[in-house]
Amino acid sequence: MKGARFTTQQNGADMRNAMKFAVGVVILLATAATAPAQFFPYEVQKKTLSNGLDVIVIETPEFADVINVNTLILSGSRNEVEKGRSGLAHLFEHIAFRHRFEEPANSYDTRIDAMGAFDNAWTWFDVTYYHPVTFATNLEGLINLQAERFVDMKFSESIYRTEAGAVLGEYRRIASDPSLRMDEVLIDLAYGPQHGYGHTTIGYLADVEDMPNSFRSGEAFYETWYRPNNSVVIVSGDVEAENVFRLVEKAYGSWRQGAVPEMPDVAPLKGPKYGHVDWSSQVPPRITQAYMIPPFVPGSTEAAILGLLPELIAGQTSPIFQELRYDKKLATDMFVGRQSAEGFDARLLETSLRLDDAKFGEQGSAMFKEVESILDRGVAGLAKFSQRPNAAATLDALKSRYRYDLLASLNSPHNMAEVFAWYYRFDRDPQVLDKLVAAVDKLTPADIDRYAARHFVPANKVVVTMSYKAGGAQ
Amino acid sequence: MKRYNLMAGLAVLLLVTSLAGCAIPLSRQPASQQPAPAATQSGNMSRLVTLDSPSPLVAVKIMLRAGSAADPVGKEGLANLVAASLIQGSFGNPAQPVTKERLAEITQPWGEGAMPYAQVAAETTTFHMTIPRDELGSYLSQVLRPMLTTPQFAASEIDRLRNETSAVISVARSEDLEGLGLSAIEMSVLEGTRYQHQPFGTDDGLAAITRDDVVSFFRSHYRPGNVILGVSTSDPAVVSPISVVVNEMNEGVAASLSAPRMGTVTPIAGRQVTIIEQPNAPAASLHLGFPITVDRLHPDYWPLYVANTWLGTHRDSTGHLYQMIRQERGYNYGNYSYIEHWNGRTGSLFQIFNQPRSQQYFSIWVRPVQHEYAYPLMKAITWELDNLVANGLSDQQVASAKNKAKVLYVNLGETVSRLLAAKMDDAFYGSDPGFLEGYLENVDRVTTAQVNSAIRRHLQTANLKYVVITNSASVPGLTAQIRGNQASQGKSFADYEFPEVKRADGSTGWEIPEARRAMVERDALWASYPLNIGTVRVTPVGSLFKTGTFIAR
Repeated sequence: MKGARFTTQQNGADMRNAMKFAVGVVILLATAATAPAQFFPYEVQKKTLSNGLDVIVIETPEFADVINVNTLILSGSRNEVEKGRSGLAHLFEHIAFRHRFEEPANSYDTRIDAMGAFDNAWTWFDVTYYHPVTFATNLEGLINLQAERFVDMKFSESIYRTEAGAVLGEYRRIASDPSLRMDEVLIDLAYGPQHGYGHTTIGYLADVEDMPNSFRSGEAFYETWYRPNNSVVIVSGDVEAENVFRLVEKAYGSWRQGAVPEMPDVAPLKGPKYGHVDWSSQVPPRITQAYMIPPFVPGSTEAAILGLLPELIAGQTSPIFQELRYDKKLATDMFVGRQSAEGFDARLLETSLRLDDAKFGEQGSAMFKEVESILDRGVAGLAKFSQRPNAAATLDALKSRYRYDLLASLNSPHNMAEVFAWYYRFDRDPQVLDKLVAAVDKLTPADIDRYAARHFVPANKVVVTMSYKAGGAQ
Repeated sequence: MKRYNLMAGLAVLLLVTSLAGCAIPLSRQPASQQPAPAATQSGNMSRLVTLDSPSPLVAVKIMLRAGSAADPVGKEGLANLVAASLIQGSFGNPAQPVTKERLAEITQPWGEGAMPYAQVAAETTTFHMTIPRDELGSYLSQVLRPMLTTPQFAASEIDRLRNETSAVISVARSEDLEGLGLSAIEMSVLEGTRYQHQPFGTDDGLAAITRDDVVSFFRSHYRPGNVILGVSTSDPAVVSPISVVVNEMNEGVAASLSAPRMGTVTPIAGRQVTIIEQPNAPAASLHLGFPITVDRLHPDYWPLYVANTWLGTHRDSTGHLYQMIRQERGYNYGNYSYIEHWNGRTGSLFQIFNQPRSQQYFSIWVRPVQHEYAYPLMKAITWELDNLVANGLSDQQVASAKNKAKVLYVNLGETVSRLLAAKMDDAFYGSDPGFLEGYLENVDRVTTAQVNSAIRRHLQTANLKYVVITNSASVPGLTAQIRGNQASQGKSFADYEFPEVKRADGSTGWEIPEARRAMVERDALWASYPLNIGTVRVTPVGSLFKTGTFIAR
């Protein structure tokens, strides 16, 4: 049996045999350093409806009675191009839960409650993801309800304005953390206002405060981006694919296709660029150093390297982690985000550190320069990775770690669907998880050298620092 | 027979990414009480909890019945520092120790989960690790055995970790408004007990801890008889060698183990408010709480669980408080209630296990709101709680809460790690059947009469504590409102954007849409509800996490 396929005519017995084979593969993974035939132990079944909607089914019958009906919209804050309307994708995610709110007997809320479903969603730069979970007996009801809200969402201006208050509350909830302000400065420096990556997903405070007045923009956002050809339905759990395909086709068939506008290209960063945030609360200082890296293409060498970079740069074995945290004790915390660097367009690979407050008190902003030069040595220095005496062994350890971490993340129907959705969006390949792993397996130390030499250069670099100053921002 | 299907479902949930062909037959007896298969003296042996997952990744959790409540007075933060320096303070042969750097190298190829992670709660410390099954032998010989049997507790590492923990405290005061409020309500409600400091400790406590304190805590509390060991498989080839290692911990080391004195909860007299002044707080955070005697074994646990599901299920839109405050009125991001304490609420959608405790409290959490709404919402939540206590829930409300609670079960037991953690908590509490094992049946069995009687017995509004965090500019006004017991309307008709109308007499007013009439009537009840606060205490944020008391004296 060969990995994932598009639709299936298999009967139940064949399926079970297929699954047994898959288990063998998973266990093999634990021992073999070389790539086995298949990494993801489940068959991914796919059908594309005539309106362009991709339907994915991952049958996990051993998770008896549990189903997820997830909807991935291939748009997020990257698609907010209207000035003064940052945060709209996220607000709209909230609005999707207010479908028919003013019809108490028939509202989305009421009907979700009747199924006792747990229902939540998240918004990011590239995508918006809705992920309700309930029991298998509710499969048809949940598919129909999801279809109804996405195909024909009904929301009034009054409810729209009320929900804007909840989003403002969400902004306030994170505003005491200087990360938000640092992010705003960082991505504005990197992308500017002409690209949707230039503002945070929650949006600027002024825009969030003005959200009650964005009703028309909200409607337009829905009309433009909530289209079947810009969406994926992913159902996982105790389901049968043929049944799901039939139900989804019936419920979503009337969803009208739409032209999906192209987004502007990312302009070259033209770094190095620097920004600083004065913060009015007495918090430890921070620094974020970021490099612009290429768009994520699953299966490419560059995407595979990105999978290893966070551990390579800021893992506990990395030379600069040890220098900053252990030897010089300049930083009390250090982090590199991988997922935020995986994007449709060129994203930033960010290394963020919280610095030692007492040392900063003695050294002042010279400490920022010292930390930056150590980071440069560690990140740009990867251009000579293959010359390290243990380069091959390090790379093998990182490959093994990558597989175990990916395997560990696929630990429930909900998590499988979410991890799958995250990567599927790029090129709509049902075998994407296997493709990622295969590309990682092929990497050589020289690939790391070439990547670093090409991308970790001053022209791609942006640095933002933050420290306490009475009367600063908050 | 939905329920029985689901029960079968739970058993099979354990299989995770692997499937029927490889499943190990499920044990018919509850696994939670099996003794560890290791030859040690009775009473000096860890208790074993297993699942039957055939996954190539084995989850191992070692829970000590000692957490931050066991910190000696004046040494707050010790349990946390011991756990961190056990992992990072070098272990094994002193001539060639496994330093933190070496540990990172050893575990790197086995995945992020292979690095031991310590979760310190009030009464427990749990070490979590995920080990590739085929690497178990190497893991035990290179990591687990030397870590548990020959820790070095290097003084330089203790100092580094102490310093990093100080940064954590600083961040807890200044960057995380929500976490600060959640910590503060616990410390306030349980003031005077050993729950009144957080696991990360205090400025003064951390400064006072010596290496001898660390070693002595380890010797006293890290004893096999004090351990609940969790392993995600029951395969003896995996379980036995792990048990042997755990039972070697502090072997032959003399130390007496005395249960920490938790202190007695002082009954709350009347309604008391603590206002925490954080100079630049961007919004106000609001909490209410009081101690309750209900724990997992209490006969009212499940009725109260259902009542709380109705009132304020964590991160769920069906809760009553969420509906009232967020959905209908748009004040904030969420509003929840709790009958059990757990850390990690700002980041997790579902309860995080392995934090069992003997003293619980009831609480309500209103996520940040505009400063001026703190006072009217204090009234709102108290009125709503009062109303619940006075009128109870209808059959329909109870049925709907039970429905929600049942689906929550799917999330609570979503992964092998969660199932294992829950089962270890069962061993701590002595729950039989366990929390998840009996969950669906227990929820199903609850009647409306039981719910309402549990509400009357355990919930009340006469004696409670509030914590409000707000900025300096708002403190005087809030204090005056509370002391003056003022009526206070939150959002106005103008805020709700009702249509303006001209009356016959020429004056202007608002036309209340029919659909919002009930909401407006409720607002009026909230606004006029007297809080009758007995004491108001205002304290700067710097007074928290400083000494072993809730507020530094």
